[in-house]
Amino acid sequence: MDNLKIPATERSPDVDFDFAAGRLSLRGESYPEDASTVFGPIFAVLEPFLDNAENRDIRFDFELIYFNSSSAKALMNMFQMMENAAGRGVRLEVNWYFAPDDETMKEFGEDFAEDLKSVTFNLVATTPS
Amino acid sequence: MLAKDYREFKTILDTRGVIFSFSGYLSEGILYSLGDALRHKMALEDTDLTTIKKVFSVFIEQAQNIIRYSAEKLRGNIGKAVELSSGMVTIGTDRGKFFIVCANIILTEDVPRLRDRLQQLQRMDKDEIKAHYKEKLREPPEERSRGATIGLIEIARRASDPIEFDFDPIDEHQQFFCMKVSI
Repeated sequence: MDNLKIPATERSPDVDFDFAAGRLSLRGESYPEDASTVFGPIFAVLEPFLDNAENRDIRFDFELIYFNSSSAKALMNMFQMMENAAGRGVRLEVNWYFAPDDETMKEFGEDFAEDLKSVTFNLVATTPS
Repeated sequence: MLAKDYREFKTILDTRGVIFSFSGYLSEGILYSLGDALRHKMALEDTDLTTIKKVFSVFIEQAQNIIRYSAEKLRGNIGKAVELSSGMVTIGTDRGKFFIVCANIILTEDVPRLRDRLQQLQRMDKDEIKAHYKEKLREPPEERSRGATIGLIEIARRASDPIEFDFDPIDEHQQFFCMKVSI
């Protein structure tokens, strides 16, 4: 499966999916008016990848600074997709990074984690630079 | 005369504590630029990160609601399809709090639905708003909504006080909608 690399823009995150290594990441900001412009291409490759990843170790890093409410909804869909895959035997570990003084991103991480039983979800405070 | 006129105009904005006010056709590009300027302004004044994020988030959700729902739109094709939505966004400070006000024209037929949603949010406390947000996050999107339901809850969640809002009838088909959020 081809890797997916999309550089960040002013209102969309950097996407780096290395499927061979099982390392995926989303970094930056996401606030397009229409979230499907950002998440459409992501779901198009993530779904078939997770469908065929049983017994593999997959790590997904989220280092998001800000996202709008329609992106939050898309992220929720993504976590539901990952939870289903983990239920089928994909070993999924999520790292949710947030700046230590950023309560909003920490709270979002906690909100998403609440629905996850099979995915390993780590809330990680980044060290101030 | 010219300078006097516009100085008076600016003085009105200044005395209301306005940081900036935009009125006219909003695009995603304008939204980005205004949001960027807003974040820089707050960071330069040592506003704490959580407050910066709350103000920015409310600004983005309000501006995107105008882009989606303003009844005052220009549509056309200038080599590419273009749709511009008219509205107003004003950000300022008053007695140590930030305020974000948005206004735009909406169709009278859409007023009851919007009023119901906003009144429902006004009645909720912080924990209820949070629970409501999570519930909506899990649901599939509503028809015709283009994401507004969750946007209004996000705004209510970041606000320090209940959302203030009002409608001013223009004619039988249209009303001027205004919403104010304090942080």
